[in-house]
Amino acid sequence: MAKTPQEREQLRQARVTARTAAQTPLVGPAGAAVASIILPGLGQILSRQTQRGVLILSAMATSVGIFAWRIAELGRRVDGFGATILRALERRPGFVALVAVVLALVWLVAAWDAYRCSRDRRRPTTGIFALVLAGFFVLGWQIAEIDVVKLVREAPEALPPLSRVMWPWAAAVEYEEQAVTAGADVLAGEGPAPERAPQVEGEPYLLVEPNVGQMTTQDEDFRPVPGTRITLTGTGFTPNTETEIWWEDPVGNEFRPREDGEYLIVTTDEQGSFQLEMTMPYRLTPPSAEGPFIHRVEARQISTVGPPRPSEALRLTISRMIETIFMGMMATFFGIIFSIPVSFLAARNIMSGSRITMAIYFLTRTILNIIRSIEPLIWALIAVVWVGLGPFAGIVALTLHSIAALGKLYSEAIEGIDAGPIEAIQATGANRLQTIMFGVIPQMISPFISFSIYRWDINVRMSTVIGLVGGGGIGFLLVQYIRLLDYRSAGIAVWFIAITVATLDYVSAEIRNRLM
Amino acid sequence: MLEFKNLSKTYDDGTQALKDVSFSVEPGEFLVVIGLSGSGKSTLLRCTNRLIEPTSGSITWDGTDITNADSPTLRTIRRRIGMIFQHFNLVKRLSVMNNVLSGRLGYLDTWKSLLYRFEKTDRENAMRALQRVGLTEQAYKRASELSGGQQQRVGIARALMQEPQIILADEPVASLDPVLAHTILGYLERLNKEDGITVICSLHYLDLVQRYATKVIGLRDGRVVYRGTGEDIRRMTDAEFKEIYGEDAERVGAGPAAAATAPAVNTPEEAE
Repeated sequence: MAKTPQEREQLRQARVTARTAAQTPLVGPAGAAVASIILPGLGQILSRQTQRGVLILSAMATSVGIFAWRIAELGRRVDGFGATILRALERRPGFVALVAVVLALVWLVAAWDAYRCSRDRRRPTTGIFALVLAGFFVLGWQIAEIDVVKLVREAPEALPPLSRVMWPWAAAVEYEEQAVTAGADVLAGEGPAPERAPQVEGEPYLLVEPNVGQMTTQDEDFRPVPGTRITLTGTGFTPNTETEIWWEDPVGNEFRPREDGEYLIVTTDEQGSFQLEMTMPYRLTPPSAEGPFIHRVEARQISTVGPPRPSEALRLTISRMIETIFMGMMATFFGIIFSIPVSFLAARNIMSGSRITMAIYFLTRTILNIIRSIEPLIWALIAVVWVGLGPFAGIVALTLHSIAALGKLYSEAIEGIDAGPIEAIQATGANRLQTIMFGVIPQMISPFISFSIYRWDINVRMSTVIGLVGGGGIGFLLVQYIRLLDYRSAGIAVWFIAITVATLDYVSAEIRNRLM
Repeated sequence: MLEFKNLSKTYDDGTQALKDVSFSVEPGEFLVVIGLSGSGKSTLLRCTNRLIEPTSGSITWDGTDITNADSPTLRTIRRRIGMIFQHFNLVKRLSVMNNVLSGRLGYLDTWKSLLYRFEKTDRENAMRALQRVGLTEQAYKRASELSGGQQQRVGIARALMQEPQIILADEPVASLDPVLAHTILGYLERLNKEDGITVICSLHYLDLVQRYATKVIGLRDGRVVYRGTGEDIRRMTDAEFKEIYGEDAERVGAGPAAAATAPAVNTPEEAE
């Protein structure tokens, strides 16, 4: 519905007269605007909007301060005020310009805001604070070194380890390996051919023809002079299996010779035979070692036999996982035992009897709050110093945290007890113990069990990470694998953590639902 | 005979709930205590079995001084005084049966009762008590599964298990709808008439008072401002009425021919 300017003015006047005299601005609209130009927020303060003014002033001061710090950081190693700003502008032109524009905008809007504060004698819209928030967002983007481009560009780098973590099961099994080897001597240089080993029925056999030749060398211009071509014929090997060729020189150096840059690998046929040609490899013996030498060439097969069996990573992961679950359980157990008495001290309805008990109540609450506000990970660091590396340190850390957390939850359960049934049980002539057994415990049992199971759930989840700082459990193993860049084994650990935590989460939620 | 002599109660915060209250209750009487919320009805009832310690004055029951009884004596006194409550005060997570059996606690050996091991005769009696209030089928349900009226009947069965000589009923029908009020009070009347149990009951609705009371005490600000029989209250004058309920109170059809379910007084606290 359109309004004429007169109508609008009337409406405004009506609003203004509705305000009390106490809100009369100390300066006129123009004065307020000028004051806010000089010092953002001053105009609002003078218009009796003190809170708003102080808020604008402190927001402005903070953002200008942070902006100045960032500029100084960007333009360091440059002397002079102007030079620093220029250097910063050069390095991050978008950031500097954007923040400068937002700050200038806030400054101007603050003046307009002061003008309206003074004129309408009431708080205008909160748009200025949205603008301040935008400024902080830009500052935060730069301070936190957020780099979306990098995130996208470097994603392929993360894919190989990530895919190993996501599907690590190749490392979960291993097979027994069996080596099948046969070798033959080759004479490098002049001389009588070395004696061939006799062929035994059922054993692998390697025949080298010829078994006398020259190694690959270099001439005076360092150009390679290829050695003699030799033919390797193997029989009696495992059929259809990859076979590696190895070379052993007279000094005992073993290496895999290459042909056209590729390692020599041959796959045996159905009879377990193969034939391949190769050049005698480059001579590694020093030139001073003149004369004939006997080298050895070997064909090696590594084949897997028997059924797959769990790998060491899998076995270790399972044993650590069990350790972790028990760590969580023991910590919960000790937590429950110790927090029950503590919870009574932290329950207001029980401790409200006298000043002394109230003092104990406040003291207990404070200690519990302090313990609870320190993360179990920090407690684990302290516990490691205390009792050494291993699961016990983790248990100590989790127990401490559990006592504090459960103590609070239990005490709230105690505070939430309905006094009515207790009164009724007392009225039947029951004694104190009977009153507790019939009036108090039935009311507390379900929150107690529910909180305890919830805590167990949390403790197992926490104990998976507490190993990161040496507190034992699967976290210890996980961080080891990650540091060894063994992403497959790490992946197995991650999978086990995820499965365990999800299962526990479900089970504890189910139990709690049934109890409630 | 239960005798209240100059009974006073001042709470720690300075509230004077009872001021110099004296009256007596003959065995087999159905005494109704009336008065506004905060007039001291609940305090008076709770002083009777010392759920609340009176500040001064005395209560004697057949010569036994309740107010100065030591703890074991108090327990033997309490177990002969059943009590039912406005909010039923059942242990909601226990079964109906266990709630009824808890009425026996005052008679039982502590250790056996701590393990919820009750005598066979107690279990039979509990079943009989439930039969009396028509709840045999609910015996093994959780108390929380029952409706308000049913819970109050469990409360009566629990009181019955004490084999009481007196039943204290603290606004037993204030949380129930008016139709149920007659059911509950009907049970109390039968206990009163058939078993000769003395009933001391606080009530809000004047028509209920007229229907069930054999004797009436009116409290206002902790003082007894009205004494009469059930017959007297049926002929109550406006002046007496205002003496109890204050100047603002209005009678709503509380004559002898009053509708059975009409609330007697228009007070905001009534729904409480």
